[in-house]
Amino acid sequence: MQRFLDPVVLAEISSLDLIARTVVDGFVAGLHRSPDFGFSQEFAEYRAYSPGDDLRHVDWNVFARTERAYLKRYRGETNSLLTVLLDASNSMNYASGKVSKMDYARFTAACLFYLAIHNQRDAAGLIVFDDEVRNYIRPSTRQGQINRLLHGLELAEPRARTDFAKPLDHFQQFLRRRGLVLILSDFYEAPDKVIRTIEPLRFHGNEVVLFHVLDPKELRPELTGPAILFDLETDFRMEVTPEYASDEYPQRIQKHIAALRDRARSARMDYCLLVTDRPLDAALRQYLTIRQGRN
Amino acid sequence: MGFLAPWFLIGAAAAALPVYLHLLRRHSTTPHPFSSLMFFEQRTQSSIRHRRLRYLLLLSFRLAVLVLLALAFANPYIRRTVASSAERRMLLVIDNSFSMRAGSRLSDAKREAISVLNSRNPAERAQIAALGSELHLLTQPIQDSAALRAAIDSIESGDSRGGFGELARAARSIQETSHAPIELHFFSDMQKSDMPASFAEMALPPHVSLILHSVAKDTQPNWAVESVEAPSQVWDPKKAHVAAVIAGYHTPAAARTASLVVNGKTIDSHKVDVPAGGRATVAFLSLNVPYGWSRCEVRIDSADSLAADDTYFFAVERSDPELVLFVHESADSRSPVYFGSALASAAEASFILDSVPAERVSSTVLSKYAFVVLSDVISLPAQFESDLLRYVRGGGSVLIAAGTSAAHRTRIPVLDDNVIEAHDYARNGERFATVGETDSSHPSMQSSEGWAGVKFYYAVAVDPSSSRVIARLTDQTPLLLDKKIGEGHSLLFASGLDDLTNDFPVQPVFVPFVRQVARYLSGTEEQKGSRRVDSFLELRSTKDEAVSVEVIDPAGRRPLSLKEAASTQSLQLTSAGFYGVRLANGRQDLVGVNVDRRESDLQPMLEDVLALWSGKGSPDSPSQANLGEHQDQERPQSLWWYAMVLVLVAALGESLLAARYLATPAEKS
Repeated sequence: MQRFLDPVVLAEISSLDLIARTVVDGFVAGLHRSPDFGFSQEFAEYRAYSPGDDLRHVDWNVFARTERAYLKRYRGETNSLLTVLLDASNSMNYASGKVSKMDYARFTAACLFYLAIHNQRDAAGLIVFDDEVRNYIRPSTRQGQINRLLHGLELAEPRARTDFAKPLDHFQQFLRRRGLVLILSDFYEAPDKVIRTIEPLRFHGNEVVLFHVLDPKELRPELTGPAILFDLETDFRMEVTPEYASDEYPQRIQKHIAALRDRARSARMDYCLLVTDRPLDAALRQYLTIRQGRN
Repeated sequence: MGFLAPWFLIGAAAAALPVYLHLLRRHSTTPHPFSSLMFFEQRTQSSIRHRRLRYLLLLSFRLAVLVLLALAFANPYIRRTVASSAERRMLLVIDNSFSMRAGSRLSDAKREAISVLNSRNPAERAQIAALGSELHLLTQPIQDSAALRAAIDSIESGDSRGGFGELARAARSIQETSHAPIELHFFSDMQKSDMPASFAEMALPPHVSLILHSVAKDTQPNWAVESVEAPSQVWDPKKAHVAAVIAGYHTPAAARTASLVVNGKTIDSHKVDVPAGGRATVAFLSLNVPYGWSRCEVRIDSADSLAADDTYFFAVERSDPELVLFVHESADSRSPVYFGSALASAAEASFILDSVPAERVSSTVLSKYAFVVLSDVISLPAQFESDLLRYVRGGGSVLIAAGTSAAHRTRIPVLDDNVIEAHDYARNGERFATVGETDSSHPSMQSSEGWAGVKFYYAVAVDPSSSRVIARLTDQTPLLLDKKIGEGHSLLFASGLDDLTNDFPVQPVFVPFVRQVARYLSGTEEQKGSRRVDSFLELRSTKDEAVSVEVIDPAGRRPLSLKEAASTQSLQLTSAGFYGVRLANGRQDLVGVNVDRRESDLQPMLEDVLALWSGKGSPDSPSQANLGEHQDQERPQSLWWYAMVLVLVAALGESLLAARYLATPAEKS
């Protein structure tokens, strides 16, 4: 089953729906439970009747046998609101192998949507952004929502630069209910600025998870000789020596990751590093963990 | 500044290659996309810029190598004023070869040299040299006129043959060491026979200007005793003959009187008619010389300006027939007969064979024998073998015939060589073996005709590693080996001297072989009664023997110092006349030394050849008349050597920089 979580294998599959189904069906185990008791179909416990209780909930069968009035209580199910913020800036287009960061983010988002809608029955929505909001699909549990979301993912092609400020304004306008916000981005921005921009979401009571999508060569570039690199977003060119790329750069990117993780935790956000040569289960596991924590 | 080969400058276009490569390298760096360069700092780019600077330095080195190489091939030169008189050197060479003895040639040459010396600028340095078979520098380049004149006065006539090629070679050598222009004055009779085989050998280097001073105005007639054929050893004076060739060079037909002089006494004399410019032979039918060495001469009456070549020196030794010890098995009666008969039939040699059976040889005194023959001896008395080894080491010689007796032993006596195996050809399918190859350069094989017909039925194979193989059988078995032991020689004949192991004794080649071996082993072939001036006389055969030799030259002087007498291997014979020599092995020799008779032809070189040699034959070359004007003119000085040094420096710099900056960085784990 691990093979079906391998992003390289998934890249061979053109349908995001199939990808999501393949991954999630192979991964998911069980649904979450709501901590609140409601009146749904699943029995939870009996409680002695007290005056004022609704007589509709009295278990008359028990009363007939024991002549005592008990109320049946059922485990109530809650629905979360899942919103995925997908960074579609040009930097997400980088790929050292077969799978670009954008592809990986799409696969992850598709799997999360599938998991949320089919397995969790959560309302799921999507915001695709770069320096502005490019696409917005309202969170919903309506029929066909999964198809809309997957179509929105397929349309998301990287372009322009990353700017967190504008999409977050939109996000705050559109989302009034609390929920779970997953941000898929490479976060090429100063950690303080990223957290400062995202932090208001947390203030509204949302659970925020930062999925930091990076290519393995971004963590440890391999240069055989001096090379000219150009920035995918700014088109800025710079000559880089292999000594710098192998010595100083890895230290700096690790420092950036550590800073982002620390700042996120201090802001009570979750952080998860996704490297595009690793299986997709890390993101799913992270999502489920957070959902369980919420319940 | 100019270029002697400007077309080579086209090669400088190759400098475009490194430029292209560097540009290509720079532009061929395809930009690689990367997510974000926010973690690459500005100082990284600064480092790359610094590296670029270093790459430019490397590029400049590469450009310099190519451009300088093209420049060196183009041979750049600068016009530089020719060295002043103080820097210029005057080299006065006086020919003192044998032909300069004719008339007053040498004194004329010296007088003219002094005249040139007096007319020179006093600040100009001059050097005096004498040319015989080689150039002898008599002074250093000095300004002291008195010393220079004394050097000229000290030049005496020699007996060597002149060589103009040697003059050119020496001039090149001097010019290469001094780098200063040389004005070479050559005072000579310009003898035609002194020219080398190729005129190119006489070519002088560019900064040597040759000025010829000929002291021979025309060809002078000259008679000379060209050669003499006489035996070096005489046993019977009545059988000894002397034949002399009288040559006339550019002479009219004339009758000359030839005399045979022995130890200063004329013992025979003949009139001989020498044709115009031709040769005549005169024969003396007896050579009545006393016992021991005699100084013999053939003289003609002098009638020309060069009297020194009217006498031909040769030495003759008269002695009794020498004894040869022939040791054989008592049962072997064939080999003494065959060997003795062959030795007796040798006309020139005079040996008496002393045939002794092996069992009675122990009391024999070896010193009275010219050489020893061991004919297929199975065993020798130990005392005799020891004496024989001492005899050989002291200069004696031995011939060992290893017949069937070798099957009884594992080593050859005296030689101490091991017997590897015995080939009995008669018992196998081959029936016999023949001689496959011979070394005709060995004295015992000088007439090797007829060897192919000799059949060998039995032969012994010995280890040839320490010997010189003179003859081999067809199966590569060494047949005749020469081994040097101390001062003496030993010849090993790997078969018998009877007609049982081979049919050699009954073949015609046996007699000349025995004669040559006898002459070689007795040492008589080394005694050549006459030699040429400038040839070398071997004084000792081994270096380890520190026995002094003694040489007395024709003037009665000892040319060797005590140290040289104890170590010198050979002596160059520089004067005509008789050299008395006591060799390291104790032998007393007398050698007659004669001048190379090509010196007797006094014909000078043709005028046009002289003009060509001195540079006047070519329109580009400066003549003697305007040499003085040219001396102060500018001359091109080539700079290619400096360009090549710069190429080397640039190449070194390029290598160091390339090794330092372009090396592939080691992969880090």
